[in-house]
This record gives sequence, C-alpha cells and structure tokens, in this order.
Amino acid sequence: MARFILMRLLQMIPVLLGVSFVVFISVYLVPGDVARTLLGYQASETAVQALREEMGLNRPMLVQYWIWLSDLLRLDLGFSGALRMPVAEVLGGKIVNSLVLMGFSLFLVVAIGFVLSTYAATRFRKLGDRLTVFATLVMASVPTFWLGILLLYVFSIQLQLFPISGMYDMYDPGGFWQLLHHATLPAVATAASAIAIVTRVSRSAMIDVNSRTYMRAIRSRGITPARVNYVHMVRNALPAFVNISGLQVGYLFGSAIFSEIIFNWPGIGLQLYNAILQRDAPMIQGCSLVIALTFVISNFLADLIVRMLDAGKR
Amino acid sequence: MQANAEVNIGAKGPEVRAKRRSSLYFIWQGIRSDRYALAGFTILTLITLAAVFAPWLAPYSPTEAFPNLRLQGIGTEGHLLGLDHQGRDMLSRLIWGGRTTLFAGITPVVLSALIAIPLGLVAAWYARTGGLIMRTMDVLFAFPMVLLAIMLAAFMGPGMTNMIIALTVVLVPYNTRVVYVAAQQEKSSSYIEASIAAATPVRKILFVEMLPNVVSASIVYSTTVIGNIVITAAGLSFLGLGVQPPTAEWGIITSDGRQYIFNAAHISILPGLAIMLVVIGFNLLGDTLRDSLDPRTRLSLIRR
Repeated sequence: MARFILMRLLQMIPVLLGVSFVVFISVYLVPGDVARTLLGYQASETAVQALREEMGLNRPMLVQYWIWLSDLLRLDLGFSGALRMPVAEVLGGKIVNSLVLMGFSLFLVVAIGFVLSTYAATRFRKLGDRLTVFATLVMASVPTFWLGILLLYVFSIQLQLFPISGMYDMYDPGGFWQLLHHATLPAVATAASAIAIVTRVSRSAMIDVNSRTYMRAIRSRGITPARVNYVHMVRNALPAFVNISGLQVGYLFGSAIFSEIIFNWPGIGLQLYNAILQRDAPMIQGCSLVIALTFVISNFLADLIVRMLDAGKR
Repeated sequence: MQANAEVNIGAKGPEVRAKRRSSLYFIWQGIRSDRYALAGFTILTLITLAAVFAPWLAPYSPTEAFPNLRLQGIGTEGHLLGLDHQGRDMLSRLIWGGRTTLFAGITPVVLSALIAIPLGLVAAWYARTGGLIMRTMDVLFAFPMVLLAIMLAAFMGPGMTNMIIALTVVLVPYNTRVVYVAAQQEKSSSYIEASIAAATPVRKILFVEMLPNVVSASIVYSTTVIGNIVITAAGLSFLGLGVQPPTAEWGIITSDGRQYIFNAAHISILPGLAIMLVVIGFNLLGDTLRDSLDPRTRLSLIRR
C-alpha cells in the first residue's frame, strides 16, 4: 500500500507541473500585452514596465514559466488589481468555504446515491425501480445554474424555508446548524446531476452482482433476502459505487461554481465569477489553479479508497 | 467490395437477408424498437424543427420590445409565455434561443471528434509520439471540464466563436482517449497484421482500414456527452462568457431573469425547462445509439 501511495504521488508531479503550465500559459490567450493584462487597464505605464521586467517577458517562455513557478511555490499567486490584495491572501479564506460546500454536496451524492441505487436494484423492474430510473434521467439532464434558481424560487422565495444567500445569517452569524441551513439548497443544486449518475451506474453494478452465480449460491443456502441484498449485494458492488462517486468529484467542482454564484456562497467559484467580471487575470489564474489542484488531490484520495475496498486488487 | 454482394448464388435461402446495411439503418431500427429512444427522437426532432424554422414559427422578432407589457407572466394576451424585463416576447426568444443553444452545444462535439480521431489513431500507432500525446491529455484531464472551459473562455474573451473553441479544446482529451483505446485494440487484430504484411502504407492502414472501426467508438462517446456540452455551453453564456446579448440564447435568458426572480420568475424558469427537455432527449437517444452502433448488439436489431 505504501508503495502504491508513493508511486501515485510520483505520478502526480508531472501532472501538477502540466496543470501549472496550462494555467500559466492561459493568460497569453488574451490579445495584447501580458503585463498590461495582469495589471489591469488602470495601471500606470511604469508599473507595467516593472512587471514586464520582473516576469522576464523579453526572455524565453520557459524562463518566464520558471519565474512564475518559483513565485507559485512561495505561494505568491500575483496581485489582484481589482481587490488591491495579493491573490493568495484572498483565496486562503475562500478555500475552506468551497470545501464546506463540496463536502456537503459529496455527502449528498454518496448518501442519496447509495440509498436510491440499493432501493432500485432490490426492486429491479418493479414500479419503484422504474420511477427511480426516470427520476435520475430528469436529474441528470438539469443544468445546475437553473436548478439553483428553481430551488431558490420555490424553497426560499415561495415557501421561505431556506435563506436566500450566503453562509451565515447577517446579524447573528455562527453555528453548525445555521451553516447546514444555508448550505442545503446550494449543496442539492450542486449534487443533483452527480446523484443521478452515481445512482444509475451503481444500480447497474448491483443488478450485475445479483445475476452472478455466487449470489445464487448464497441465496440457495437460505440466507434471508434482506441479508443477501444489504450485505452481499451491496458489499460486492461497493468498489463500483466508490469508483463512480470518486469520478463525480470533478463534476461537482464544476457545478459548485454555478451554485456559489446563484446562492452567493463566498467560495472560490464566486470569486472566479467576480474575477471574470472584473477582468482580474491573476485572480482568474489563482482560482483555476486552486480548483484544479484540489481536484487532483481528491482524485488521488478517491483512488486510494477504491484500492482499499477492492479485494481483487489488494 | 465482395462483402457488398448478396450471397445469393443459385438457391434462394435466408442468406439473402445478410446483405450489408448502413449504420443509419441500424440507428433507425434501434430507435424504432425502443419507446424511450423514440420519445427522445421525437423531442429532439420537434425542437430542431422549431429552431430551424424559427423565422416562420416565432410570433415576434426575438429583439422586438413591447415596453408597456414588461415582465407580464405566462398567459398574457398575444404572448403565450409572457414577456421579459425589456418587454420581449418569451416564446419568440425561446424559439430563437434554441437555434443558438443547439448550435453552440453540437458544434464543439463534432469539431472535437474531427480532431480526436486522427490524433487518437496516430497516438495508438506510434508508441513514442502516442505517449507524448496521451501525457499531454492527462494534464488536461486534471482540470474539471467546466473549469477548463470557463478559464479558456475567460481569457480568450466572450463570443460564440471563442466559446466553441474553448468547448472543443475541453472535449478533445476525452474523445482522443476513447479513439486511442479503440485503436489500441484494433492494432493487435489480424486484419491489421495482414495489412502490415502486405506492406500497406501506414497512412492507409490508419485512415482506410482502422478508421471505420474506431469512428463508432467516438460517435458513441459523442452521443453520451452531447447533453452535457449543451448544458455547459448554456452555462458559459449564463456566466457572460459565451453568446452575447441581445442575442436570444437559453443560458442568457436564464441569467437575465435572475434579477426578476421575485416578480417574474417565468423568465428564468422557462429557458431552463427547454434546456432540460433537449438534454433529456439526447440522453434517451444516446443509450440506444450506443447499442445500434455496437456490432455485437446489431444482430438483435436485424432479426426483428
């Protein structure tokens, strides 16, 4: 296991370098001078000249990348012209907020996905199964940004069950239950499509397990149907379930950006959106980099869990 | 081509039916035999027709404003689905918006397949170049799909063309991997060995012999991802990175309605329903296309 972890960590190094290079190079897509793009249009000509010098813009691309990367390793992500603050400082506070939302969403994906797929698989081709399949079809086809608005309209504006925006109440902030209350709608909007996909794949995996001979052998030994379903079927379909849940994490990262915007959740996604509106290039780079890094790390963790569960690979 | 000729020498037998059929035949048989696919096909046909014939179907121009009827809801006289914040007819904007959204969603899928098929074939054939290509793709996989599209579109600047480029770039790695895996399998099969033995030029092996057998893998992948790309394209426009106002596009209309959610919720809710309907159509159809294009499940469609 230690060997596997070490190998995976080593494999991550070139990928991380590549990711940082893509983020670095993306700012060159903007037509015009890079230093000017990074500083914004209100910056003075001397400041632009100074940055041009610092970045080594008249030196080869790889040298520029090296300068940028060494800054990055010192956690220097550049300076946000729009907020008049270092990018790293702004993002530091937002990462936790985004992770909280992601955590809630992932919990919903795993919990609801598990319950729905087990339910559907045990009622294969009965009404409950068909309804679940239909529900997942609809959920998988819903755009996050629209679902967010719809939930906001129905549950916050019409029924007034949930707050409209933010993480805490404006006047009396704090407390886990308050956070949960605020996080419910954005987490549901983020998780909906992923729940649908996890349910569909995991349902098929469970149905597949059920058709195997060893399951027939287990049944023929007179073990209660409940035990067959909830112990043997579920246990054997678990690696497939964890695998597909892990694959959904990337999707959740994308959806969370939209949820954060709709529900005004003070995370990286909302920051990214504001940076786009303000044409704040270093901030767009910083947000993209942080999201991509978190994604790479969570993929690594998902791989580890699958590996630990999968008896065949052990 | 020998395979084309009907095996029908002398006696009449069941062999007559084993003539070569086009893929379209199998796709149609697949759709016809499955009511879910038929439902998806019907939804998509209707919406595509509405989009194509928008100038004749839409009761008003998508930019024509009736300022005194601003924000009027569903069922307003003369405006079936109400009006938006500028007093533009919602039904007309939705019909015209379908054009933009469908175009912006489908084009990147087609373009990325056109890039990924040669790329995947070359990568599978030349081990060293292939390694390099696939490692580059691995880097792009490290970005969540939506994030990469947002980042590229943000830096290239808003507009339909840039959005399509961004979405194409995002899709290429996935599509290339699909083609690469399919081509890897074909590479070790005996018909390719025979071609090599017959000193067929590599270019011909790849693009004449192998191509037809990897294309279906790419098409199957494309059909499963197309709904997702329609959503992402609308999402980019929603963020202001895609198609620009006043063009009617479902993502933009949803975004426009956000500020009026308290008193005119229909502006945001209707275009989202339209997107959902299209994506349901694609998802229903995708499952069947996967079966129709897979040679192993085709037989069941002939025997019907």
